[in-house]
Amino acid sequence: MNGSADVAVSQHPSGGALGGTATLCLTQDPEPFYQGVRQIMCDVLAISAGHNYTPKQYLPLFAERGRGNMDGWGIGFFREGQALVETSPEQVYPGYQVHESFQRLARVIDSRIIIAHVRCSLSGHHRGDSHPFTLDFLDHSWLFAHVGVVEGIDQYRTRNEPRLEVEVYSARIFEYLRDQLLSLYPMNPYLSLYTALGVGVERLVSEYPGHYAFFLANESVIFAFCNFRQFLLLREAETVGDILLITTVEEGLSPNNWFALRPEEGSRGTMLVVAGPELLHLGKV
Amino acid sequence: MCDLFALSAKTNFSAPKALPLFAFRASKNMDGWGIGYFRKGHAFVEKSAQRVYMPDRVHDSYQRLARVVSSRIIISHVRFRTSGAVDECHAHPFVLNFCGSDWLFAHNGKAPAIETYRTQGEVVAGAASDSARAFEYLRDQMISLCRKSAAPLPLFDLVSQGTARMIEEYPGDYNYLLSNGLVIFAFTNHRQFMLLEGSRKLEGGLLLTTLEKGLSDEKWLRMARSSSAQGLMLAVSGTDVVVRRSL
Repeated sequence: MNGSADVAVSQHPSGGALGGTATLCLTQDPEPFYQGVRQIMCDVLAISAGHNYTPKQYLPLFAERGRGNMDGWGIGFFREGQALVETSPEQVYPGYQVHESFQRLARVIDSRIIIAHVRCSLSGHHRGDSHPFTLDFLDHSWLFAHVGVVEGIDQYRTRNEPRLEVEVYSARIFEYLRDQLLSLYPMNPYLSLYTALGVGVERLVSEYPGHYAFFLANESVIFAFCNFRQFLLLREAETVGDILLITTVEEGLSPNNWFALRPEEGSRGTMLVVAGPELLHLGKV
Repeated sequence: MCDLFALSAKTNFSAPKALPLFAFRASKNMDGWGIGYFRKGHAFVEKSAQRVYMPDRVHDSYQRLARVVSSRIIISHVRFRTSGAVDECHAHPFVLNFCGSDWLFAHNGKAPAIETYRTQGEVVAGAASDSARAFEYLRDQMISLCRKSAAPLPLFDLVSQGTARMIEEYPGDYNYLLSNGLVIFAFTNHRQFMLLEGSRKLEGGLLLTTLEKGLSDEKWLRMARSSSAQGLMLAVSGTDVVVRRSL
Protein backbone atom coordinates (compact mmCIF):
# COMPACT_ATOMS: atom_id res chain seq x y z
CA MET A 1 0.00 0.00 0.00
CA ASN A 2 1.32 3.42 -0.88
CA GLY A 3 1.69 6.00 1.81
CA SER A 4 1.28 9.11 -0.28
CA ALA A 5 -1.95 10.97 -0.83
CA ASP A 6 -1.67 11.02 -4.59
CA VAL A 7 -5.37 10.87 -5.29
CA ALA A 8 -7.71 13.03 -7.23
CA VAL A 9 -9.40 15.79 -5.27
CA SER A 10 -11.44 18.57 -6.82
CA GLN A 11 -13.84 21.14 -5.59
CA HIS A 12 -17.40 20.37 -6.54
CA PRO A 13 -18.71 22.54 -9.41
CA SER A 14 -21.20 24.19 -7.07
CA GLY A 15 -18.40 25.40 -4.88
CA GLY A 16 -16.42 28.00 -6.81
CA ALA A 17 -12.66 28.12 -7.34
CA LEU A 18 -10.59 25.02 -7.91
CA GLY A 19 -7.29 24.42 -6.22
CA GLY A 20 -4.69 21.77 -5.46
CA THR A 21 -1.29 21.01 -3.99
CA ALA A 22 1.67 18.80 -4.77
CA THR A 23 0.09 15.94 -2.91
CA LEU A 24 -3.54 16.47 -3.91
CA CYS A 25 -4.11 16.20 -7.61
CA LEU A 26 -6.48 18.75 -9.10
CA THR A 27 -9.24 17.29 -11.24
CA GLN A 28 -10.92 19.62 -13.72
CA ASP A 29 -13.41 17.01 -14.90
CA PRO A 30 -16.11 16.41 -12.31
CA GLU A 31 -18.04 13.97 -14.49
CA PRO A 32 -18.56 10.60 -12.81
CA PHE A 33 -16.54 7.82 -14.42
CA TYR A 34 -18.97 5.19 -13.25
CA GLN A 35 -21.88 6.27 -15.38
CA GLY A 36 -24.18 3.38 -16.11
CA VAL A 37 -23.52 1.97 -12.67
CA ARG A 38 -24.71 5.00 -10.67
CA GLN A 39 -28.36 4.52 -11.59
CA ILE A 40 -28.73 1.33 -9.55
CA MET A 41 -26.68 2.24 -6.53
CA CYS A 42 -27.45 2.79 -2.89
CA ASP A 43 -26.13 5.93 -1.22
CA VAL A 44 -24.27 6.46 2.04
CA LEU A 45 -23.58 9.39 4.33
CA ALA A 46 -21.11 9.66 7.19
CA ILE A 47 -21.03 12.49 9.71
CA SER A 48 -18.06 12.90 12.02
CA ALA A 49 -17.81 15.46 14.81
CA GLY A 50 -15.54 16.25 17.71
CA HIS A 51 -18.47 16.06 20.11
CA ASN A 52 -21.79 14.30 20.12
CA TYR A 53 -23.86 15.69 17.28
CA THR A 54 -27.56 15.55 16.43
CA PRO A 55 -27.99 15.32 12.64
CA LYS A 56 -31.42 16.95 12.40
CA GLN A 57 -30.44 18.98 9.36
CA TYR A 58 -28.31 16.68 7.23
CA LEU A 59 -30.00 13.32 7.68
CA PRO A 60 -33.33 14.52 6.21
CA LEU A 61 -31.42 16.24 3.39
CA PHE A 62 -29.66 12.97 2.69
CA ALA A 63 -32.98 11.11 2.62
CA GLU A 64 -34.42 13.68 0.25
CA ARG A 65 -31.42 13.55 -2.12
CA GLY A 66 -31.32 9.77 -1.91
CA ARG A 67 -35.01 9.38 -2.55
CA GLY A 68 -34.35 7.43 -5.74
CA ASN A 69 -33.29 4.54 -3.50
CA MET A 70 -36.66 3.09 -2.64
CA ASP A 71 -35.89 -0.07 -0.75
CA GLY A 72 -35.04 0.70 2.81
CA TRP A 73 -32.78 2.73 5.01
CA GLY A 74 -30.53 2.44 8.01
CA ILE A 75 -28.82 4.74 10.50
CA GLY A 76 -25.86 3.68 12.60
CA PHE A 77 -24.44 5.59 15.54
CA PHE A 78 -22.55 5.12 18.80
CA ARG A 79 -23.66 5.35 22.42
CA GLU A 80 -21.01 4.90 25.10
CA GLY A 81 -18.72 3.22 22.60
CA GLN A 82 -21.32 0.71 21.43
CA ALA A 83 -22.50 0.72 17.81
CA LEU A 84 -26.28 0.83 17.45
CA VAL A 85 -28.37 0.58 14.29
CA GLU A 86 -31.93 1.48 13.34
CA THR A 87 -33.06 0.10 9.98
CA SER A 88 -36.26 -0.16 7.98
CA PRO A 89 -37.25 -1.92 4.73
CA GLU A 90 -39.58 0.97 3.93
CA GLN A 91 -38.93 3.79 1.53
CA VAL A 92 -36.91 6.61 3.03
CA TYR A 93 -39.00 9.14 1.10
CA PRO A 94 -42.53 7.85 0.68
CA GLY A 95 -44.82 10.27 -1.11
CA TYR A 96 -43.80 13.83 -0.43
CA GLN A 97 -41.84 13.69 2.78
CA VAL A 98 -39.02 11.92 4.59
CA HIS A 99 -40.04 8.74 6.42
CA GLU A 100 -41.44 9.73 9.81
CA SER A 101 -39.16 7.49 11.86
CA PHE A 102 -36.12 8.64 9.90
CA GLN A 103 -37.04 12.24 10.73
CA ARG A 104 -37.57 11.49 14.40
CA LEU A 105 -34.27 9.60 14.65
CA ALA A 106 -32.51 12.53 13.02
CA ARG A 107 -33.75 14.74 15.86
CA VAL A 108 -32.82 12.31 18.64
CA ILE A 109 -29.53 10.60 17.72
CA ASP A 110 -26.57 12.16 19.55
CA SER A 111 -23.23 10.69 18.49
CA ARG A 112 -19.76 11.71 17.36
CA ILE A 113 -20.04 9.38 14.38
CA ILE A 114 -23.21 8.73 12.38
CA ILE A 115 -23.50 6.57 9.25
CA ALA A 116 -26.66 6.42 7.15
CA HIS A 117 -27.50 4.25 4.17
CA VAL A 118 -30.40 4.31 1.72
CA ARG A 119 -30.89 1.19 -0.31
CA CYS A 120 -31.78 0.14 -3.82
CA SER A 121 -32.60 -3.56 -4.22
CA LEU A 122 -31.40 -3.48 -7.83
CA SER A 123 -27.86 -3.40 -6.51
CA GLY A 124 -28.20 -6.93 -5.28
CA HIS A 125 -29.75 -6.60 -1.86
CA HIS A 126 -32.95 -8.03 -0.49
CA ARG A 127 -35.61 -6.70 1.80
CA GLY A 128 -34.72 -6.53 5.45
CA ASP A 129 -30.97 -6.22 4.98
CA SER A 130 -30.51 -2.49 5.30
CA HIS A 131 -27.10 -1.36 6.41
CA PRO A 132 -25.20 -0.35 8.43
CA PHE A 133 -24.14 -3.68 9.94
CA THR A 134 -22.38 -4.03 13.28
CA LEU A 135 -19.69 -6.41 14.52
CA ASP A 136 -17.51 -6.35 17.63
CA PHE A 137 -13.82 -7.15 17.21
CA LEU A 138 -10.39 -5.82 18.23
CA ASP A 139 -11.93 -4.31 21.37
CA HIS A 140 -14.20 -2.06 19.34
CA SER A 141 -17.78 -2.02 18.20
CA TRP A 142 -17.76 -1.36 14.43
CA LEU A 143 -20.25 -0.01 11.89
CA PHE A 144 -20.07 -0.91 8.20
CA ALA A 145 -22.05 0.35 5.21
CA HIS A 146 -21.27 -0.40 1.59
CA VAL A 147 -22.47 0.49 -1.89
CA GLY A 148 -21.40 -1.20 -5.09
CA VAL A 149 -21.63 -4.51 -6.87
CA VAL A 150 -19.17 -7.33 -6.15
CA GLU A 151 -19.43 -10.69 -7.86
CA GLY A 152 -18.55 -13.89 -6.07
CA ILE A 153 -18.08 -12.67 -2.53
CA ASP A 154 -21.46 -14.09 -1.53
CA GLN A 155 -19.61 -17.43 -1.48
CA TYR A 156 -17.20 -16.23 1.21
CA ARG A 157 -17.61 -18.05 4.51
CA THR A 158 -16.02 -16.62 7.62
CA ARG A 159 -14.36 -18.86 10.20
CA ASN A 160 -14.76 -16.29 12.94
CA GLU A 161 -17.68 -15.53 15.20
CA PRO A 162 -20.05 -13.85 15.24
CA ARG A 163 -21.40 -14.21 11.70
CA LEU A 164 -23.88 -11.82 10.14
CA GLU A 165 -27.04 -13.78 9.44
CA VAL A 166 -28.16 -11.84 6.37
CA GLU A 167 -27.37 -13.39 2.97
CA VAL A 168 -26.06 -10.32 1.19
CA TYR A 169 -22.60 -9.68 -0.13
CA SER A 170 -22.13 -6.49 1.91
CA ALA A 171 -22.26 -8.63 5.04
CA ARG A 172 -19.65 -10.95 3.54
CA ILE A 173 -17.41 -7.95 2.73
CA PHE A 174 -17.65 -6.78 6.35
CA GLU A 175 -16.81 -10.29 7.61
CA TYR A 176 -13.92 -10.54 5.15
CA LEU A 177 -12.42 -7.26 6.39
CA ARG A 178 -12.97 -8.27 10.03
CA ASP A 179 -11.24 -11.59 9.37
CA GLN A 180 -8.30 -9.85 7.70
CA LEU A 181 -7.81 -7.48 10.62
CA LEU A 182 -8.05 -10.35 13.10
CA SER A 183 -5.47 -12.37 11.21
CA LEU A 184 -3.02 -9.51 10.65
CA TYR A 185 -2.69 -8.19 14.20
CA PRO A 186 -1.40 -11.35 15.90
CA MET A 187 1.35 -11.49 13.29
CA ASN A 188 2.34 -7.83 13.67
CA PRO A 189 1.06 -5.79 16.60
CA TYR A 190 3.09 -2.82 15.35
CA LEU A 191 0.76 -2.33 12.39
CA SER A 192 -1.34 0.79 12.34
CA LEU A 193 -5.07 0.36 11.75
CA TYR A 194 -4.71 2.18 8.43
CA THR A 195 -2.00 -0.16 7.20
CA ALA A 196 -3.79 -3.29 8.40
CA LEU A 197 -7.06 -2.27 6.80
CA GLY A 198 -5.21 -1.26 3.63
CA VAL A 199 -3.71 -4.74 3.38
CA GLY A 200 -7.16 -6.26 3.96
CA VAL A 201 -8.74 -4.10 1.30
CA GLU A 202 -5.94 -4.86 -1.14
CA ARG A 203 -6.57 -8.59 -0.69
CA LEU A 204 -10.33 -8.10 -0.90
CA VAL A 205 -10.18 -6.22 -4.18
CA SER A 206 -7.70 -8.71 -5.64
CA GLU A 207 -9.66 -11.77 -4.57
CA TYR A 208 -13.12 -10.38 -5.25
CA PRO A 209 -12.86 -7.67 -7.92
CA GLY A 210 -15.81 -5.33 -8.06
CA HIS A 211 -17.16 -1.90 -7.22
CA TYR A 212 -16.58 -0.86 -3.64
CA ALA A 213 -17.48 2.27 -1.73
CA PHE A 214 -17.73 1.72 2.00
CA PHE A 215 -17.52 3.26 5.46
CA LEU A 216 -16.02 1.32 8.35
CA ALA A 217 -16.11 3.10 11.70
CA ASN A 218 -15.42 2.53 15.36
CA GLU A 219 -16.27 5.04 18.09
CA SER A 220 -13.24 7.20 17.25
CA VAL A 221 -12.46 7.07 13.53
CA ILE A 222 -14.11 6.47 10.15
CA PHE A 223 -12.32 4.71 7.31
CA ALA A 224 -13.79 5.39 3.88
CA PHE A 225 -12.74 3.45 0.79
CA CYS A 226 -13.88 3.79 -2.82
CA ASN A 227 -12.65 2.36 -6.08
CA PHE A 228 -15.37 3.51 -8.43
CA ARG A 229 -17.58 6.32 -7.16
CA GLN A 230 -16.58 9.64 -5.73
CA PHE A 231 -16.97 10.79 -2.18
CA LEU A 232 -18.04 14.37 -1.62
CA LEU A 233 -16.65 16.01 1.52
CA LEU A 234 -17.82 19.11 3.37
CA ARG A 235 -16.59 20.63 6.62
CA GLU A 236 -19.34 22.63 8.29
CA ALA A 237 -19.28 24.92 11.32
CA GLU A 238 -22.05 24.08 13.78
CA THR A 239 -22.85 25.63 17.14
CA VAL A 240 -21.42 22.57 18.91
CA GLY A 241 -18.24 22.69 16.80
CA ASP A 242 -17.24 21.65 13.30
CA ILE A 243 -18.50 18.51 11.59
CA LEU A 244 -17.26 16.66 8.52
CA LEU A 245 -19.75 15.15 6.07
CA ILE A 246 -18.88 12.49 3.48
CA THR A 247 -21.43 11.20 1.01
CA THR A 248 -21.79 9.36 -2.26
CA VAL A 249 -24.78 11.51 -3.23
CA GLU A 250 -23.56 12.94 -6.50
CA GLU A 251 -24.58 16.55 -6.06
CA GLY A 252 -23.81 16.76 -2.33
CA LEU A 253 -26.43 17.72 0.23
CA SER A 254 -26.25 21.50 -0.02
CA PRO A 255 -24.97 24.22 -2.33
CA ASN A 256 -21.82 24.63 -0.21
CA ASN A 257 -18.23 23.99 -1.28
CA TRP A 258 -18.15 20.21 -1.40
CA PHE A 259 -14.83 18.63 -2.34
CA ALA A 260 -14.95 15.65 -4.65
CA LEU A 261 -12.53 12.82 -3.92
CA ARG A 262 -12.18 9.90 -6.25
CA PRO A 263 -9.56 7.28 -6.98
CA GLU A 264 -7.06 7.67 -9.75
CA GLU A 265 -7.76 5.42 -12.66
CA GLY A 266 -5.35 2.52 -12.50
CA SER A 267 -5.16 2.48 -8.69
CA ARG A 268 -6.94 -0.11 -6.56
CA GLY A 269 -8.79 2.65 -4.79
CA THR A 270 -8.57 5.50 -2.33
CA MET A 271 -8.82 5.23 1.43
CA LEU A 272 -9.28 8.09 3.82
CA VAL A 273 -9.34 8.32 7.60
CA VAL A 274 -11.49 10.82 9.47
CA ALA A 275 -11.19 11.72 13.16
CA GLY A 276 -13.69 14.24 14.48
CA PRO A 277 -14.18 16.97 11.88
CA GLU A 278 -10.68 16.40 10.52
CA LEU A 279 -9.54 14.53 7.44
CA LEU A 280 -6.69 12.73 9.18
CA HIS A 281 -5.13 10.76 6.34
CA LEU A 282 -5.61 10.04 2.66
CA GLY A 283 -3.87 7.53 0.45
CA LYS A 284 -3.98 4.99 -2.33
CA VAL A 285 -4.45 1.30 -1.68
CA MET B 1 16.20 14.26 29.90
CA CYS B 2 12.49 15.04 30.30
CA ASP B 3 9.87 12.33 29.98
CA LEU B 4 6.45 12.15 28.35
CA PHE B 5 3.24 10.30 29.10
CA ALA B 6 -0.05 10.09 27.22
CA LEU B 7 -3.32 8.28 27.70
CA SER B 8 -5.79 7.96 24.83
CA ALA B 9 -9.17 6.34 25.40
CA LYS B 10 -12.56 5.82 23.78
CA THR B 11 -14.32 7.88 26.43
CA ASN B 12 -13.30 10.16 29.26
CA PHE B 13 -10.80 8.37 31.44
CA SER B 14 -8.64 9.05 34.48
CA ALA B 15 -5.19 7.65 35.19
CA PRO B 16 -4.92 7.40 39.00
CA LYS B 17 -2.47 4.48 38.75
CA ALA B 18 -0.44 5.26 35.63
CA LEU B 19 0.23 8.96 36.26
CA PRO B 20 1.77 8.58 39.76
CA LEU B 21 3.77 5.62 38.51
CA PHE B 22 5.02 7.76 35.64
CA ALA B 23 6.02 10.46 38.13
CA PHE B 24 7.85 7.90 40.26
CA ARG B 25 9.72 6.30 37.38
CA ALA B 26 10.61 9.66 35.89
CA SER B 27 11.59 11.08 39.27
CA LYS B 28 15.10 12.02 38.18
CA ASN B 29 13.47 14.90 36.32
CA MET B 30 13.57 17.60 39.00
CA ASP B 31 12.49 20.76 37.23
CA GLY B 32 8.72 20.79 37.02
CA TRP B 33 5.74 18.89 35.76
CA GLY B 34 2.48 19.37 33.89
CA ILE B 35 -0.75 17.56 33.09
CA GLY B 36 -2.77 18.58 30.03
CA TYR B 37 -6.26 17.43 29.14
CA PHE B 38 -9.36 18.43 27.19
CA ARG B 39 -12.83 19.42 28.37
CA LYS B 40 -15.57 20.17 25.82
CA GLY B 41 -12.96 20.67 23.10
CA HIS B 42 -10.82 23.09 25.08
CA ALA B 43 -7.32 22.33 26.32
CA PHE B 44 -6.46 22.81 29.97
CA VAL B 45 -3.12 22.49 31.74
CA GLU B 46 -2.12 22.22 35.39
CA LYS B 47 1.60 22.62 35.91
CA SER B 48 4.25 23.39 38.46
CA ALA B 49 7.95 24.24 38.66
CA GLN B 50 8.35 21.96 41.67
CA ARG B 51 9.76 18.45 41.70
CA VAL B 52 7.25 15.82 40.71
CA TYR B 53 8.70 13.38 43.22
CA MET B 54 9.71 14.49 46.69
CA PRO B 55 11.60 12.05 48.89
CA ASP B 56 9.34 9.01 49.15
CA ARG B 57 6.24 10.45 47.58
CA VAL B 58 4.73 11.91 44.43
CA HIS B 59 3.89 15.63 44.54
CA ASP B 60 0.58 16.03 46.36
CA SER B 61 -1.12 18.02 43.61
CA TYR B 62 0.07 15.62 40.92
CA GLN B 63 -1.47 12.70 42.81
CA ARG B 64 -4.76 14.50 43.30
CA LEU B 65 -4.91 15.61 39.66
CA ALA B 66 -4.23 12.03 38.57
CA ARG B 67 -7.39 10.97 40.39
CA VAL B 68 -9.56 13.84 39.20
CA VAL B 69 -8.59 14.75 35.63
CA SER B 70 -10.96 12.96 33.24
CA SER B 71 -10.49 13.23 29.50
CA ARG B 72 -10.26 11.11 26.36
CA ILE B 73 -6.70 12.40 26.03
CA ILE B 74 -4.31 13.15 28.88
CA ILE B 75 -0.73 14.30 28.31
CA SER B 76 1.84 14.67 31.06
CA HIS B 77 5.42 15.90 31.11
CA VAL B 78 8.10 15.85 33.76
CA ARG B 79 10.97 18.20 33.15
CA PHE B 80 14.72 18.06 33.31
CA ARG B 81 15.80 21.52 32.24
CA THR B 82 18.03 21.74 29.19
CA SER B 83 16.69 25.04 27.84
CA GLY B 84 14.93 27.98 29.52
CA ALA B 85 14.40 28.82 33.18
CA VAL B 86 12.99 26.60 35.89
CA ASP B 87 9.56 28.12 36.42
CA GLU B 88 5.93 27.33 35.79
CA CYS B 89 5.91 29.03 32.38
CA HIS B 90 8.56 26.63 31.12
CA ALA B 91 6.78 23.51 32.32
CA HIS B 92 4.95 21.59 29.59
CA PRO B 93 2.43 20.95 28.09
CA PHE B 94 1.98 24.25 26.26
CA VAL B 95 -1.32 25.37 24.70
CA LEU B 96 -1.91 27.27 21.47
CA ASN B 97 -5.07 27.70 19.43
CA PHE B 98 -4.80 27.31 15.66
CA CYS B 99 -6.43 25.53 12.72
CA GLY B 100 -9.75 25.75 14.57
CA SER B 101 -8.62 23.84 17.68
CA ASP B 102 -6.82 24.11 20.97
CA TRP B 103 -3.59 22.12 20.80
CA LEU B 104 -1.45 20.66 23.57
CA PHE B 105 2.28 20.19 23.04
CA ALA B 106 4.90 18.51 25.18
CA HIS B 107 8.50 17.93 24.11
CA ASN B 108 11.45 15.87 25.19
CA GLY B 109 14.90 16.33 23.70
CA LYS B 110 17.51 18.97 22.96
CA ALA B 111 17.18 21.26 19.97
CA PRO B 112 19.21 24.42 20.74
CA ALA B 113 19.21 25.46 17.07
CA ILE B 114 15.51 26.28 17.14
CA GLU B 115 15.87 28.73 20.04
CA THR B 116 16.63 31.41 17.42
CA TYR B 117 13.28 30.93 15.66
CA ARG B 118 10.97 33.92 15.90
CA THR B 119 7.32 33.53 15.02
CA GLN B 120 5.16 36.25 13.53
CA GLY B 121 2.19 34.81 15.41
CA GLU B 122 1.21 34.32 19.01
CA VAL B 123 4.05 33.16 21.24
CA VAL B 124 3.94 30.59 24.02
CA ALA B 125 3.56 33.01 26.93
CA GLY B 126 6.59 33.43 29.14
CA ALA B 127 8.60 30.53 27.74
CA ALA B 128 12.05 31.03 26.20
CA SER B 129 13.03 27.46 25.40
CA ASP B 130 13.62 25.18 22.45
CA SER B 131 10.31 23.42 23.18
CA ALA B 132 8.27 26.62 23.02
CA ARG B 133 9.91 27.63 19.74
CA ALA B 134 9.38 24.13 18.30
CA PHE B 135 5.66 24.35 19.06
CA GLU B 136 5.43 27.79 17.46
CA TYR B 137 7.35 26.58 14.42
CA LEU B 138 5.05 23.59 13.94
CA ARG B 139 1.97 25.79 14.36
CA ASP B 140 3.32 28.29 11.78
CA GLN B 141 4.11 25.50 9.30
CA MET B 142 0.67 23.92 9.63
CA ILE B 143 -1.08 27.26 9.11
CA SER B 144 1.12 28.06 6.13
CA LEU B 145 0.50 24.69 4.48
CA CYS B 146 -3.26 25.08 5.00
CA ARG B 147 -3.26 28.52 3.41
CA LYS B 148 -1.36 27.33 0.35
CA SER B 149 -3.88 24.62 -0.45
CA ALA B 150 -7.45 25.13 -1.65
CA ALA B 151 -8.20 21.45 -1.16
CA PRO B 152 -8.35 20.09 2.39
CA LEU B 153 -4.96 18.70 3.39
CA PRO B 154 -5.00 15.67 5.69
CA LEU B 155 -3.94 16.58 9.20
CA PHE B 156 -1.32 13.82 9.27
CA ASP B 157 0.36 15.39 6.22
CA LEU B 158 0.31 18.85 7.81
CA VAL B 159 2.02 17.63 10.96
CA SER B 160 4.46 15.36 9.10
CA GLN B 161 5.52 17.99 6.59
CA GLY B 162 5.90 20.63 9.30
CA THR B 163 8.01 18.27 11.36
CA ALA B 164 10.20 17.22 8.44
CA ARG B 165 10.93 20.89 7.69
CA MET B 166 11.68 21.60 11.35
CA ILE B 167 14.24 18.80 11.54
CA GLU B 168 15.84 19.90 8.32
CA GLU B 169 15.97 23.59 9.22
CA TYR B 170 16.68 23.18 12.93
CA PRO B 171 18.34 19.82 13.51
CA GLY B 172 17.99 18.40 17.00
CA ASP B 173 16.50 15.72 19.19
CA TYR B 174 12.75 15.85 19.12
CA ASN B 175 10.31 13.58 20.91
CA TYR B 176 6.99 15.30 21.09
CA LEU B 177 3.29 14.81 21.73
CA LEU B 178 0.86 17.11 19.94
CA SER B 179 -2.90 16.83 20.34
CA ASN B 180 -6.10 18.63 19.36
CA GLY B 181 -8.23 16.54 21.71
CA LEU B 182 -9.19 14.05 18.99
CA VAL B 183 -5.84 12.71 17.86
CA ILE B 184 -2.40 12.52 19.47
CA PHE B 185 0.52 12.93 17.10
CA ALA B 186 3.60 11.34 18.59
CA PHE B 187 6.92 11.99 16.90
CA THR B 188 10.31 10.59 17.80
CA ASN B 189 13.76 10.90 16.29
CA HIS B 190 15.68 9.86 19.41
CA ARG B 191 14.94 7.48 22.29
CA GLN B 192 11.57 5.72 21.85
CA PHE B 193 7.89 5.56 22.65
CA MET B 194 6.61 2.59 24.65
CA LEU B 195 2.96 1.72 24.03
CA LEU B 196 0.51 -0.53 25.84
CA GLU B 197 -3.15 -1.06 25.04
CA GLY B 198 -5.61 -2.56 27.49
CA SER B 199 -3.37 -2.81 30.56
CA ARG B 200 -4.63 -5.14 33.26
CA LYS B 201 -2.50 -3.54 35.94
CA LEU B 202 -2.91 0.13 35.10
CA GLU B 203 -5.72 2.00 33.38
CA GLY B 204 -7.36 0.83 30.16
CA GLY B 205 -7.09 2.78 26.95
CA LEU B 206 -3.79 3.24 25.15
CA LEU B 207 -0.84 4.26 27.31
CA LEU B 208 2.28 5.81 25.85
CA THR B 209 5.52 6.94 27.47
CA THR B 210 9.13 7.73 26.65
CA LEU B 211 10.28 5.69 29.66
CA GLU B 212 12.42 2.86 28.37
CA LYS B 213 10.77 0.08 30.36
CA GLY B 214 7.22 1.37 30.23
CA LEU B 215 5.19 1.65 33.43
CA SER B 216 4.48 -2.00 34.23
CA ASP B 217 5.87 -5.46 33.58
CA GLU B 218 3.32 -6.06 30.82
CA LYS B 219 4.12 -6.39 27.12
CA TRP B 220 4.86 -2.82 26.04
CA LEU B 221 5.59 -2.25 22.37
CA ARG B 222 8.69 -0.24 21.57
CA MET B 223 8.36 2.17 18.68
CA ALA B 224 11.40 4.08 17.47
CA ARG B 225 12.70 5.47 14.21
CA SER B 226 14.53 3.13 11.93
CA SER B 227 18.16 3.95 11.29
CA SER B 228 17.41 4.92 7.69
CA ALA B 229 14.63 7.39 8.59
CA GLN B 230 14.57 10.95 9.94
CA GLY B 231 11.99 9.98 12.48
CA LEU B 232 8.77 8.13 13.20
CA MET B 233 5.32 9.71 13.34
CA LEU B 234 2.29 8.06 14.94
CA ALA B 235 -1.32 9.24 14.95
CA VAL B 236 -3.29 7.81 17.88
CA SER B 237 -7.06 8.05 18.16
CA GLY B 238 -9.15 6.18 20.69
CA THR B 239 -7.16 3.12 21.71
CA ASP B 240 -5.32 2.58 18.42
CA VAL B 241 -2.33 3.72 16.45
CA VAL B 242 -4.38 4.71 13.41
CA VAL B 243 -1.52 5.86 11.17
CA ARG B 244 2.20 5.18 11.46
CA ARG B 245 4.79 6.53 9.04
CA SER B 246 8.55 6.95 8.89
CA LEU B 247 9.68 10.42 7.83
